[in-house]
Amino acid sequence: MGIKKKMVTLLAVILILSTALIGCQSQEVSKTYTPDSTINWTVTSSPGGGSDIFTRMISDIMTTEKIADGTIVVTNKTDGGGEVGRNDVAHLQGNKANNTLLTFNSGDLMPMVKNTKNRSSNFRILAIMAVDKQLIFKGKNTKYNDFKEAIEAAKNGGTVIIGGSKGDDIATYEAMLEEIGVSKDNMKYITYDSTGDAITAALGDHVEFVISKPAAASQYVEAGTLIPVLALATERYTGNLAGAPTLSEIGDYENVEIPVWRGIAAPAAMSDEAVAFWSEALGKVAETQKWKNDYIDKNKLVPDYKDTVKATEYVTQYEKDYMEANGIK
Amino acid sequence: MENLELLLRGFTVSLTPMNIGAAFLGAILGLIVGAMPGIGSLAGVALLLPLTYKFDPTTAIIMLGALYYSNMYGGSFSAILLNIPGDSPAVMTALDGYPMAKKKKRPGQALFTANMSSFIGGSVGIIILTFAGPALANLGLKFGPSEMTAILLIAMTSISWLVGENPIKGMLITMVGILLASIGMDTLSGAPRYDFGSMYLLGGIPFTPFVIGTVGFSQVISLINERNKSSENEKVDTKLSIRGSLLTKHDFRRLLPPALRSGFLGTFVGVLPGAGATTGSFMGYAVQKKFKSEEELGTGAIEGIAACEAANNAAAAGAFAPLLALGIPGSGTGAVLLGGLMLWGLNPGPLLFQNNPDFAWGLISSLFLANILTLMIAIMVIPFLTKILSVPTKYMIPIITVVCVVGSYSTNNSMYGVLVMLLSGILGYVMQKNDYPTAPMLLSFVLAKLLESNMRKAFIISGGSLNIFFTRPITLVLMIIFIALIVVPIVRSLLGRRKKEYTV
Repeated sequence: MGIKKKMVTLLAVILILSTALIGCQSQEVSKTYTPDSTINWTVTSSPGGGSDIFTRMISDIMTTEKIADGTIVVTNKTDGGGEVGRNDVAHLQGNKANNTLLTFNSGDLMPMVKNTKNRSSNFRILAIMAVDKQLIFKGKNTKYNDFKEAIEAAKNGGTVIIGGSKGDDIATYEAMLEEIGVSKDNMKYITYDSTGDAITAALGDHVEFVISKPAAASQYVEAGTLIPVLALATERYTGNLAGAPTLSEIGDYENVEIPVWRGIAAPAAMSDEAVAFWSEALGKVAETQKWKNDYIDKNKLVPDYKDTVKATEYVTQYEKDYMEANGIK
Repeated sequence: MENLELLLRGFTVSLTPMNIGAAFLGAILGLIVGAMPGIGSLAGVALLLPLTYKFDPTTAIIMLGALYYSNMYGGSFSAILLNIPGDSPAVMTALDGYPMAKKKKRPGQALFTANMSSFIGGSVGIIILTFAGPALANLGLKFGPSEMTAILLIAMTSISWLVGENPIKGMLITMVGILLASIGMDTLSGAPRYDFGSMYLLGGIPFTPFVIGTVGFSQVISLINERNKSSENEKVDTKLSIRGSLLTKHDFRRLLPPALRSGFLGTFVGVLPGAGATTGSFMGYAVQKKFKSEEELGTGAIEGIAACEAANNAAAAGAFAPLLALGIPGSGTGAVLLGGLMLWGLNPGPLLFQNNPDFAWGLISSLFLANILTLMIAIMVIPFLTKILSVPTKYMIPIITVVCVVGSYSTNNSMYGVLVMLLSGILGYVMQKNDYPTAPMLLSFVLAKLLESNMRKAFIISGGSLNIFFTRPITLVLMIIFIALIVVPIVRSLLGRRKKEYTV
């Protein structure tokens, strides 16, 4: 009986201790965040486009490098030019908020601020991964030899037609016009649904020039069907885009560069622990060879990882400047 | 000859057991995805894409290509049997397919016609793609805003053949279609139109839920009404065998000319930037109106099903020409495939045929394979599909409702789609009760957006001058056709009247 009693007491002590330990452990777990088995990632532009490839590349690296366990489900929500998807993400609550990501670029922020009441403060900005810039290309049969000739023609009352996508391409076009002092009537802009459509129009000689980021145009430059004529950057590109001069090289102009940042946001209700986790995870992605070689180098982007603190500061300032410049209150 | 050699080399790639298996799996998935309303090839390919990252790129694209391709077959199933188009190109198939299945009690033959025409149209498209793909893609590039405007104006004239007996009602409903199409963000300036402050309306009316509502859900409402009138459950006497679904020689003779014609037309439309299979199907049907059909189109004519089904499959094949030869996606699905190519480490674009011939020709040869495989599978499932028609109305009403709700939800993964579907269902029912035709509204809804965007781009280029429509050679020819289409019937009727006056 004595032994039995001792055994029971021992078991009871072990039970109490282990319960206490488990209790401590679960407290520890609740402090740190681990993602759910399914992460929802919203992209507010079409499948196959620049933002979609950016997102799928990151989610692929996260899975293969085991940076985040579980399945990442990428959903393209394009209704209302993406505003519906952004609005949905901004207002998510609870556990869902901790497990939802949103691809968020300057090209998304501009129309959002312009057309809706949604603002960057309705999100947690997790990171900025890279910065993209644009160039102007001409088709094989465009009558102007270079962009300098096109500017001269526009200044002398002629009409030059540039095609491009929405959002950031338009902002860069407008900034360039202001610098070269040409009116929108003389250098017209035709908005296409995507850069791909604008390039198609340039290949068919329906527009004289096309504004694009390097990634979308690279293959056509290699095949000789598109020729880079102006780098909208502070210095020339390298490789097969090196032939394009900057604005200051073709006349008495300042260089025009509107950085197109590519970032990731999350619902405003995401917990601080989850924000820290994702910001760090994205930093790890930015350090991988696959990201550097297969995304940054291949698409000629500038690697520029900013963590959640720096990215939030940057985006808030960017939004403020944009609203002031466009008279948005 | 060189192309034939390369194609044969392509077959050595696609005919490995692994790739045949991939094509087979893709074909089955495509049929299923296509038959489910709302989940078109775009969603199917986008869902499957991440699974293929681990595959060899050629195997992956063969599977996705087969899925995309067979999806065009599947779209007609629910259009014919339930009057709910599985995807947007199948809207026109429902016009003749459903009456043929329901009123003429030949559902098996209607499905067989759709499958056979899809096969013929698709074969024409793939053969053209093999021998003239790059040349066609370059021709497609010549179609800029002014050329597209002229083509769309020609397509718009086909509305007049769909308006039915009462032209005023037809015109009115066409205008409603145009008005609804103008809701949402202006594609050129980015300005919101008729959004009334709603984030959802800013995105416009989504086409698939709109079609599911006006065509499919309106039918649920009328079924409920009919059921109240008579409690009898109408049972369709269907022959549940492949043999019973076979077409007669006479049927086949009726099917062949429109299918071949639409094959050529559809391939051409597929190559045009931004036109796609839906426009192809509309154009195929509209052109058939100009030719003789044994029965009037819209009453269950074999020619009607053949014309649009062949055209949409040919357009799907044609869309591969700019994708492979130039790296230009002709449709949303093409854009996903393009994204896939990049993620697999290939460089789509003008150099794809040079740098990765095994891949490019492997894909083209797999389209031949997918076309045959899908035809076989599609024919084999006819007896099972036709069983749907013998389901009593009391079960049919909830089934169609579920299909409509799920289909419209999955288009954008949002309840907004369901709301649009329910409201357009009511609109469709009211129209049906008051003898307003739905086809002109759907046609004008699809074409108006494309027409507006192209016409405005043309006017920006020309500085507002109409000259652009008469100074470019291709545009000029198309404009002459357009004007002739309007003027000739007027002159003819005037001459006819005069003749009558003289004889009297």
